[in-house]
Order: sequence, then structure tokens, then C-alpha cells
Amino acid sequence: MKIGLPKGLLNYKYSTFFETFFFELGTEIVYSSDTNKEILDLGVKHCVDEACLPIKIFHGHVASLRDKCDLLITPRIMQIRKKEFICPKFCGLPEMLVNSIPNLPMITTAPLYFFSKEKLYSWCIASAEKITKDRSKVKAACTKAMEKQNNTSYGIKNQGFRKNIALIGHPYNIYDSFINMNLVKKLNKLGVGVITEEFVEEKDLDIQIQKLYKRPFWNFARNAFGFSTFMAEQKKIDGIIYISSFACGIDSVVIELIKSGIDEFPFMVLKIDEHTGEAGLETRIEAFVDMLGGGINYESNLSPLR
Amino acid sequence: MKVTFPHLGNVYIAAKALFQGLGIECVIPPLSNKAALEIGSLYSPEEICLPFKIQLGNYIQSIEQGADTVIITGSCGPCRFGEYGEMQMNILRKLGYDVKFIVADSPSDIGIRELFKRIGYMTAYSNKNKIQKIKSLFDAIKIIELMDSVEGEARYKSGFELRKGECKRLLNKCKSEAFNAESPGEMIEVIQHYNEKIKNVEFDAQKNPIKVAVIGEIYTIIEPFSNLYIEDRLMEMGVSTKRRLTPSWWVKNTALSPLGLNSMDIKKASKDYMALCIGGHARECIGEAVLAKEDGFDGAIQIFPLGCMPEIVSKAILPKISKDLGLPIMTLVVDEMTGEAGYLTRVEAFIDLLERRREDVLSRC
Repeated sequence: MKIGLPKGLLNYKYSTFFETFFFELGTEIVYSSDTNKEILDLGVKHCVDEACLPIKIFHGHVASLRDKCDLLITPRIMQIRKKEFICPKFCGLPEMLVNSIPNLPMITTAPLYFFSKEKLYSWCIASAEKITKDRSKVKAACTKAMEKQNNTSYGIKNQGFRKNIALIGHPYNIYDSFINMNLVKKLNKLGVGVITEEFVEEKDLDIQIQKLYKRPFWNFARNAFGFSTFMAEQKKIDGIIYISSFACGIDSVVIELIKSGIDEFPFMVLKIDEHTGEAGLETRIEAFVDMLGGGINYESNLSPLR
Repeated sequence: MKVTFPHLGNVYIAAKALFQGLGIECVIPPLSNKAALEIGSLYSPEEICLPFKIQLGNYIQSIEQGADTVIITGSCGPCRFGEYGEMQMNILRKLGYDVKFIVADSPSDIGIRELFKRIGYMTAYSNKNKIQKIKSLFDAIKIIELMDSVEGEARYKSGFELRKGECKRLLNKCKSEAFNAESPGEMIEVIQHYNEKIKNVEFDAQKNPIKVAVIGEIYTIIEPFSNLYIEDRLMEMGVSTKRRLTPSWWVKNTALSPLGLNSMDIKKASKDYMALCIGGHARECIGEAVLAKEDGFDGAIQIFPLGCMPEIVSKAILPKISKDLGLPIMTLVVDEMTGEAGYLTRVEAFIDLLERRREDVLSRC
């Protein structure tokens, strides 16, 4: 049996888990190619118009894999930490895919909770149903996959740059260099280092969250708010760039919370959608870096006596 | 303390009775209007959904009339509504308004003690005894139930009425007379009177009007201003409409949800298409579309604000339902930029389509 593992959404973070699990079960895994123009076009064609860019791109990945595998991994991730959801679109992802893309092979529809071993295990059983009925094999594969996932580290932390900024956003916007048009590389070229939310301790996040009137019920909100206010408070960075997809419901709230949490700290929001032009994005990054007083001084070749 | 609250359909009538019964002064914001929306969109974040903007406008218009405490309900589902309280607090503080917020969140998240503390803050201003307080709460629930019943009957019967416009006239009179009633008791009497009247509206047995179910996001379908008074327009066109999501439905649903007994019919109907609750009222939207077909409706109109996360999921599923069941479904997305003319043209075209579908036998094959 061939397993299709589409890139996109939180598979950027949890692909190790899915890979190891299905590899241990002895199945062949087919990957979708990195996001590109064709995948984007496929996604835009199939997906409901109102959805955000990452969801459209995921539709594209799934559509590109549909003839190449027997079972598609389309995780319905409900909660990562207890009582912390992701986004309603994640919870309804399998339904969106089934009803939007014709001729799909089997897909995984069981709800996936990452915070407890038992719930993770029941996802594994439900998803491996068609592959093997051997419970002990599934359990062994699940444990191994969990271990491997826990030992994998993510995040970007550049060192040795004069200026540093915190890059915030959903993992699938930060790690997909097609969506964000190589943002990290562009920043590095301008002499700016990048740090992402993985490099902050849980306890620091908890302290920051106390500042809110209401405990955030989204995992993204907790990470983004906690990380950005912590970094701004500690003055470990010079500015913050938030990369957000157009019409993202969570971002529309989180950005406001961050803005009121960091006061006058330099903060820029980059909106991306399927029409974003690269030149405009570059101009905005350059302007932001200039404002931070860093970067490469392009005007240094002018004579001082103008 | 002067209490205010955001508008949601006819809730303001029940809220007036509740605060009157409690003996707490209350400022009812002017019915949602263009000015409220303009104020709201000026101060709200650009990408937030429409209900947030209208609500913010409601508050500011109330505060200008002297309100100093805002009461809203909360939620902890994955939908944005749960964060409204916090963001609106921040915005009003930045604007320099000194208002206190009472957010009635679900006890499963903040704990029952915290909920009672928050409600206790408000009721401390009431000089009534416990029995009177509980009575006024039950009165309010009764009023909203009656009001929803009057409105539901009027909207559905308007297609069948013998004298055109009678249902609409009765509904409007009921609303204004109930609102001007002296006491909660009188208000109940007034609404009951109209409830009887509407039930006895004369039928035209010859008529077989187009019947449309209104489904979608709860705020935008209940609050008439946000959907450009679509139900009134359909009434004028002689179309019968039905909307299952009402404030009294919400009360019942919230009360029964800890037991898992809420809206069993909707849950059952949505099972084939969406078995899980994904936040907001996406599952209800799916279930209602299926039920609309079972109840013999000609079509359904889904309404949601731009960027509404749960409804985007249901919008992706609705075409499949439409195809499977042969039920035309139109989606209308509203935001502060929605143009009236274009919107109405779409509604009219949809009603035309439903009419012709009936005449044309072939379309049913």
C-alpha cells in the first residue's frame, strides 16, 4: 500500500511523526513536491474561494498526490496542547477535501490530539486500519514515531548578524519558502538574523500569557503572543515581523493582542495571499530594516559633499 | 451602574425586561445602524469579522448615552467570538472610555465560581431579593421564546397570507408594543396577544409560496442589519422563510450542551457530512441544509461574515449537499463593504431560479 504525505499546513512540523509511523508499518511513502506554482494553481482551482492561502495550498498538495497513492494523510488536528485548538478549518479539513476534490483515494479522518498518548494511539489505530490489524505492531510504530518526533527540533536561529528580528507566524507560513518568497534568505541578505518561536521556554510563555484577560484558546495565539512580548520585553531583538495569510481569523486577533502587548516596539505585518508580488514584499522588508537602522548601506557609494 | 449590551435580533426586548425586573439601569443601544457600523469599522482591526465591528459601534453609541458596563457572552470554541471581549476591552480603553466588561464565559473554561463572581458583580447593584431575581430571569427567557415564536410564525406564514403584508404589520406592531410595555408582565401579555393573532392569520389555500431556509453564521442571520434585512425583503417578495438558529435556540442549546442532548435533530441530519463539532455553528449549518430538504423547502441561503472560519468549512461542503439532495443553496458573504444593489440582485435571481425550477418539470430529473 502506498501512503501519500502531502506537504503543507502542520505537516511541516509533524512530518517526522507520520513518516516514522507509516515507515514502521512497512508501507511505501509518496511525498508531494515542494510547493510551486502548479500546486498553488491546483489548490486555487479546487478549494473554496474564501479559504486562506495555506489551506488552498494544502488542497493543491492533496490534489497532486491523489493518483499516486492509496491512502492520503490528511490529519484532522484538533488540539496540540490541552484545551488549545488550532483553527476550525483544521478540524474540518478532511470534510473540506472530500467535498472539494473529486476522485480522492482513501483519506485519514480520525481526529488527532497531540497532548495525550492514548488519544494519539487511537488516531494511529484508526488510520492504520486498512494497513494492518495487528495492534501490537501499531503500538510499537506509534511509540517509535512519538519518540522520533520528540527528538526532532525545529526553528530558525541565525547567529552573527548585526540586527536580529523575531519572525512570527504559523509554521506553514514560515517554513514554506514558496509562500513567503524566501523571506528568511532575503532578511539574511540584508544583514538581519532571524529567530523563531521555538527558542523560548514554556515557562516564559506562561508568564506572558498571564498578562491577558482571557487564557487564549488557540495554540498559535499562545505561542505568538508569548514569544513576541517576551522577546520585546527582554530586548533580545530589534524588531518583529509577523507573516500572516490574508483573511486568517486567528491572526486578525493575535496581531491586535501583540500590538497592545508590545507598545512602540518595531513591528511589521506582512500579508500574503495568492496574488502577492515579490517586489512589493522586498520593498517593505528593506524599508523595515532601514528603519531598524541596520542592513547594508546601499547609499554608501555617494560622495559626502552632496 | 448603567448596563449595555450588543444587539442580536430581538434580544434587546428581553434584555429590557430582564434589567427592569432586576432593577438595574440599562442603556439599550440604538438599533444597529449605518453610523454604528461606521464607528465600529473605524476603530476595529481591519480583518476582524463583521459582528465585532457592529458590536463595537453598539457599545460606543451606548457609552455616549451614559452606559458604563458592557455585558457580553463568551465562548471558548475555536471560533474568534471567544476573543471578542478581550479585544473590545483593549480598543475601548485605548479610545479613553472607562467601561467595565462582564464576560459570561462558559463555566467549563473559567470555572463556575468565577462565572458567579462575574454575574454577582452585576446583581450586587440590584435591590431585589433572590426570588425576584430568578423570576426576572425566567421572564426574560419566556419573552425571548415568545418573541422568536411570533417572528418565526410571521416569517413562515407571510407566503400564505390572504391579505398581503398582514404578517409583517403584526410582527412590527408586536415588536414596538412589546418594547414600550411598562413591565415584564405586561410585555409577556402583549407578545402572547400577538402570538395568538399571528396564529389566526387567514390563509390562502390556493397559495404555494417559495420556501427558503436561512442558514449560516448565527449573528449575521439573526441580526437583521448585518444581513441587510434579508428576511424582510423575502417577506415582501412573498417568500416563506425559516431560520432555526434563534436566540432562544441558543439558550436551550447552551443549557443542554453539557449533557450532549442539544439539537439532536440537527446533529443527526449533519452526520453524513460532518460528524464532529468544529466550532462556531458549522455543523448546525450543514444539518439545517439537510433538514431544509426533508421539510420540503425549495432552497437555502447561507449567510456569513467575510473570513468566518467555521462557515468557510461548511461552504466547502454545501455544494455536495446541494448536488446530492437537489436543493439549490446560495451563499452570501457580508462585510462592511457589502453593496445593497448587488446583494439584492443576487437574492432576486435566486428566488427566480427557485420559481422556474418548480415550473420546469425537467429540472427535477
